[in-house]
Amino acid sequence: MSATEHRTTRPADPDAFVEQRRGSWSALEALLVADRPLHKLDPADIARVGQLYREVCADLVHVRGASFPQDRIAYLDALAVRTHGALYRAEPYRFRAVWELIAQDFPRTVRESWAYMAIACALFVIPMVVVLIAAVLDPSLATTVLPPEQLEATAQSYLEGFEQGRSQSSDTMMTGFYVYNNVGIAFRCFATGIAGGLGSAFFLVLNGLYLGATLGWLWHEDGALRNLLTFAMGHGSFELTAIVIAGGAGLRMGFALVQTRGATRLASLRSHAPALARLVLGAALMLGIAALIEGFWSPSSVPVPVKWGVAASLWVLVFSYLGFAGRARPAQAEAGAA
Amino acid sequence: MREPLDTTVSIETPEHVTLRLRLAGPWRRGLAYAIDGLIRGFIVLMLLVLISMAEGSSAFNEQSTGMALIVIFVVEWGYYVLLESMWSGQTPGKRVLALRTVKEGGFPMGFVDSVLRNLLRAADWLPVGGCVGIVCSSIDPRFRRLGDMVAGTVVIHENRARLLRGQADEVPPTADELATLPHRVPLQADERRALERFVPRRNTLAPAREEELAELLAPRIAERLGVRYRDPGRFLALVHHRATQPVGASAAATDVQS
Repeated sequence: MSATEHRTTRPADPDAFVEQRRGSWSALEALLVADRPLHKLDPADIARVGQLYREVCADLVHVRGASFPQDRIAYLDALAVRTHGALYRAEPYRFRAVWELIAQDFPRTVRESWAYMAIACALFVIPMVVVLIAAVLDPSLATTVLPPEQLEATAQSYLEGFEQGRSQSSDTMMTGFYVYNNVGIAFRCFATGIAGGLGSAFFLVLNGLYLGATLGWLWHEDGALRNLLTFAMGHGSFELTAIVIAGGAGLRMGFALVQTRGATRLASLRSHAPALARLVLGAALMLGIAALIEGFWSPSSVPVPVKWGVAASLWVLVFSYLGFAGRARPAQAEAGAA
Repeated sequence: MREPLDTTVSIETPEHVTLRLRLAGPWRRGLAYAIDGLIRGFIVLMLLVLISMAEGSSAFNEQSTGMALIVIFVVEWGYYVLLESMWSGQTPGKRVLALRTVKEGGFPMGFVDSVLRNLLRAADWLPVGGCVGIVCSSIDPRFRRLGDMVAGTVVIHENRARLLRGQADEVPPTADELATLPHRVPLQADERRALERFVPRRNTLAPAREEELAELLAPRIAERLGVRYRDPGRFLALVHHRATQPVGASAAATDVQS
């Protein structure tokens, strides 16, 4: 109320001006306390923040114009910035957004970036197949990728198979390990793509080589390969796909720096940012699912044929999810076209 | 937009006012990172102790190792994403050093921005010890690391200037005390300035010194207003209160309270 009275007359003397306006500023500070989202305040208070903010803006223009002491200007500047932030805050979080990400946005974005996904897939699968064939023909070639001790240790651990199942505490440990290790790999695979995609390509090829060498080495061990595949095919559906998606997202990020379509490199990168975030969040969710399957289902003592059956349906599930989820229904598509 | 000599970035609001954000440099941010690192380490340590206590043995068995790995993972990747999106761009370390991550337009950051800038820490950390991040944010005129560039954020140094500090320490004037003063207190500019400097500092001074300083000004004002006082410091605080908050405003405030 007093603020409106004073709006027309602003004393030129800094101290008098501060005295006059201090009430409004304190009121605004009190409303902004502790970063509470503005929408949680009373409607009347929200309106009041808007009014006080405009007053502070006007005051700021005034103190700048009248070249007031630096600390007054700095104070008002800071107050205006804080209010600006509170007023123009991004929309509040909605749990619906999580569902939308899973049901539509993630699979849509994967399909939209199919070219990057295809390249990422090739970067992962081709080295894997090449090393696999090489190691099947000559096991010593596998040791050029991984040290023989490590390969041997892997082989030993899969010689027995999982007919006996695994203790529950082991399951917990391995779930923890997979979460820590594999999700970390996927995140790094994405993040290093900032170097023109080279980092992602490197990690994809590297992981492809490791997998190929391990599979090739196990070919020569009696039954170990069969056991490993029985173990890994189920969660591999989510895990390998998610690593490829994270790598593909990294490639997309890198390529945005190269192909700028007339924008600055940074602006080009920025325009891809929301899609990148969707891809990475989706991949992280998939890896979480993979870790649960890997920890509790894969090592269970369920008969082998059942495991293969489940593994096959999981692969079908993952690909049909990525391929079809979130597509517009035909009726909607027509309406959109018309 | 770019002011090469200043570490500020200007944004123009829809109200056509230019606001200046003070950018935070690598040193201050590094310090905040160190504080957050300590906190993260502490959280992990505490949770590990809890897990091993729940397991009932001091040695780590397989189950607690698994839980420990999940804990480390969540703290390693989730700490920043969670806190920055919950506290609107701040973490404990940033809060201590008055830093805040905001969008380049000065808006608060959202969850997606937080995910991008914090996952890209992995790239900024390459090849070892944060080299890319340090070099990158030292070269960039806005001190952005790679994660900031992708998410479109800057880290600003929040300037909570202290114009109003010290007032909170003062015991609010009672109605009786205020009644002894006239509704308007005519003050000269130098008196006003002296009050401005004295009143917020009043409670930080030793009592004798406070009285000594207050006696320089209080008699002059008391004489002009035609009032008496017992405690000169308190009297000046009352005068200051009356001068800063016109009678109309304080009446409105009491209305709301009653």
